[in-house]
Amino acid sequence: MNPEPFLQLDRVIHEKGRLAIMSLLAASPALSFTELRDTLGMTDGNLTTHLRILQEEGFVALSKSYANKRPLTTCSLTAAGKKAFTGYIDLLEQIVRQNKPR
Amino acid sequence: MEPNQAAEHLQTIRTLMERSAVYRRALAPVMTFCGVIGIAGGVAGNWLPMNSARAFVLYWAVVAAVALTGTFLLVRRQSLKDAEPFWSPPTRRVTQALIPPLVVGAFLGVMVVWLELPREICAMLAALWFLLYGLAIHAAGFFMPRGLKLFGWWFLISGGLIFQVILARGIGDESVLNWLMGGLFGGSHLAYGIYLYFTEKRRKAT
Repeated sequence: MNPEPFLQLDRVIHEKGRLAIMSLLAASPALSFTELRDTLGMTDGNLTTHLRILQEEGFVALSKSYANKRPLTTCSLTAAGKKAFTGYIDLLEQIVRQNKPR
Repeated sequence: MEPNQAAEHLQTIRTLMERSAVYRRALAPVMTFCGVIGIAGGVAGNWLPMNSARAFVLYWAVVAAVALTGTFLLVRRQSLKDAEPFWSPPTRRVTQALIPPLVVGAFLGVMVVWLELPREICAMLAALWFLLYGLAIHAAGFFMPRGLKLFGWWFLISGGLIFQVILARGIGDESVLNWLMGGLFGGSHLAYGIYLYFTEKRRKAT
């Protein structure tokens, strides 16, 4: 088996929690912090940590606003995040294809 | 990473992406509210003088408007409670799926009023409303929990059967139409709402 695709997998996205966040955001233009937290069953602290890492990598953009006098944090994928996520999926598909019987 | 692990990863990603696109607001209050309004509409319809197709259409348009307004307020209340945007992408998708068949239903109602069609047309109109409503719910079901599609099919089958009966035998007593509207629209929503109260996963309060 060629290990090359595996070595190219993005380490930041490959982590389970962050991959889940990226997957949810890839299917939706934007999601609120509470939507992400409830869908993934994460704690506030855990989600905040993962989001911070993804934000530092430039994969996720956070915007803070107020909705009905309550703070609202909205998360979305950046262009770099979309590109990295697509690349990650492509590599996974490549790994799966490698072992398919011809 | 083994290929089977990669395949599992892809499956998980696919599942999460689908979950992200699914409408997640609790439907039990909405269904129950629509059910109560529908049944009340059916009962009240029998007490009100309804001697023309125009009166029938306008009366049920008012009932539908009350149900829609209540639904809007219930969904808005949930989004406020959860500190989430009301007009979220899943809400937008569900609305977009619902709109075309509902607009056609409204258009048919307007045509009946506009052309001053005879009262006998009401039975066929009601059957068409059932079918169109079933189509709307089924289309919205692609972005909602799975049971919604079955709910849509329920209206499609019921509407089809009613249509068949009307074509084959006509409808003897037209006062039965209000019972039919109240029973099928209201009764079905109420039954589904009660079912959802016991099965819908309670979301954590924020």
